[in-house]
Amino acid sequence: MSASTIDQIQRRFEGDTVPLPGKRVRQVLSIVLFFVLWAALVRFGILGFDKFVGPETTLVALVESLAGAPMTEGGETLYEHAAFSAYRVVVAVLIAMGIAIPLGLTIGTSRRWEDALFPALEVFRPVPPVAWVPIALLLMPTFRSGVIFVVFIGAFFPILVNTIEGVKTVEEEYVQAAASLGAESRDIFRHVIIPATLPSIITGVSLGVGLAWITVVAAEMIAGGVGIGYIIFQAYRLLQTEVVAVGMIAIGVLGYASAAAVHRTGHYLTRWEETE
Amino acid sequence: MSKHDSTTDDSTTAGPTPETTGKTGAIDINDLTKIYDPEGEHVVAVQDMDLSVGAEEFVALLGPSGCGKSTVLECIAGYLDPTDGEVLVDGNRVSKPDPKRGVVFQENRLFPWKTIKENVEFGPRMHDSIEEGRAESILDEMGLDGFEEAYPSGLSGGMQQRAELARLLANDPDIMLMDEPFSALDALTKEIMQKKLLEVWERDNRTVLFITHDVEEAILLADRVVVMTARPGQVKDVIDVDIERPRDPEVVTTDRFTELRERALSVIREEAERALEQEDGA
Ligand SMILES: Nc1ncnc2c1ncn2[C@@H]1O[C@H](COP(=O)(O)OP(=O)(O)O)[C@@H](O)[C@H]1O
Ligand SMILES: [Mg+2]
Repeated sequence: MSASTIDQIQRRFEGDTVPLPGKRVRQVLSIVLFFVLWAALVRFGILGFDKFVGPETTLVALVESLAGAPMTEGGETLYEHAAFSAYRVVVAVLIAMGIAIPLGLTIGTSRRWEDALFPALEVFRPVPPVAWVPIALLLMPTFRSGVIFVVFIGAFFPILVNTIEGVKTVEEEYVQAAASLGAESRDIFRHVIIPATLPSIITGVSLGVGLAWITVVAAEMIAGGVGIGYIIFQAYRLLQTEVVAVGMIAIGVLGYASAAAVHRTGHYLTRWEETE
Repeated sequence: MSKHDSTTDDSTTAGPTPETTGKTGAIDINDLTKIYDPEGEHVVAVQDMDLSVGAEEFVALLGPSGCGKSTVLECIAGYLDPTDGEVLVDGNRVSKPDPKRGVVFQENRLFPWKTIKENVEFGPRMHDSIEEGRAESILDEMGLDGFEEAYPSGLSGGMQQRAELARLLANDPDIMLMDEPFSALDALTKEIMQKKLLEVWERDNRTVLFITHDVEEAILLADRVVVMTARPGQVKDVIDVDIERPRDPEVVTTDRFTELRERALSVIREEAERALEQEDGA
């Protein structure tokens, strides 16, 4: 019902009244506008932007990087750095899902486990993932696993919290209906609790992936050795501001692509939710 | 509770048991009291209610809204624990839900994440008794062929309710507990559903406890109409519907039907007025 109201409002605003350019044209326009603004900021030195590069130089650097030129002083290309960051995000998110989802389902369904585990987890939750970097460096055998650990922490809590919340809001009616059809508690867990919680889990995963990208960049700046975060910071130290900008664009693209992938997968898994 | 200490499930002799009748699905409600929130607001929903529903009998439970009908049904279903008294089914005390007691509510409780066919096969699957083609034939009977692979959200309200009935029938319960199952449907769909239900019941002979606040629906469907008092709910009157079966929705035009309806209405009117006075007093 509310969806149709929103539709109506949108229609009113986007209007059959005022003819607007097509969707594609507007998207292109928005990007062009962004570049114009960026160029203006640099050109007129607004907010100290004259110390940064403009879009033209960045574009040249971007094309070079995309062509496979090694970045900063190391030998790795943009693709290799991106692959490292993406690898860390994917592995960390998968581990976080593997632990947080079962844990959340357990805590959500069992009062006893909730009392045993949740208070301790609540204490750690407000600690920003990056604050775990020193511990990670001390405990983990390599830089690489250290970064993964920190990214894991970043992705873990949103998935856990949303899974627990999802279990707690499963409607009692479905549990009763299943019981009246002969389901035992194991069947109820499998056929009711898990699917009913799935939309919340997906919300948690998409938040987790977003946080994983933020965390991976921050962790790589401190301790990556390789990766987009590392390259951004390295370039900053070498005053190669166009490389900083290329790194930022790369993160934006990767983050966008992974969010879209999660969204699509989630949409497919909960296709039963569609109302139309 | 203490008064039941001396009787065990097996020795309870209050009602008919399968041994004495050869039929299953008898319900005995003894002294049922349900109080919500006993420490706080203390809502007495049902008080000292007694009612027996024979095996394979069709009983309609009629009463003003808020009088405790759903509470009674949920006690029989095993969703609620009585505050006092007990519900026996075939002589055994109800303590939890059981596939022998199927339930349908006004708002459907189909699993939204399962297709219609998966929903219908859910019960049989729980006891490993899926028969190839059975879900299809039940869905077919309910006029839902072609919707096996659809999700509940893709169906209209009437179709969802039919699918819910199909899910119930596929599980072959002794007792069907139905809480205003058709009240959200439009008049035409409702009539079709009533006809379907009569057809199915006259063929399979299950016990049905059918809650409604629609007098005509109660008389059309039931062997007996039990009218409840306003809250706290109790049995106010029982009307035997001596209209022969098979019935179809046309019986509403007969004189006997009109008589029974007037009688039920006068009882209900009395109760509704009493309920209003209660509210004014409060
Ligand atoms: N969970 C609950 N907590 C407190 N009061 C309740 C609860 N459920 C029902 N009631 C109250 O108990 C009374 C009987 O409710 P119900 O059995 O649903 O009536 P009916 O189905 O006849 O409309 C109503 O006054 C209702 O407000
Ligand atoms: Mg009710």
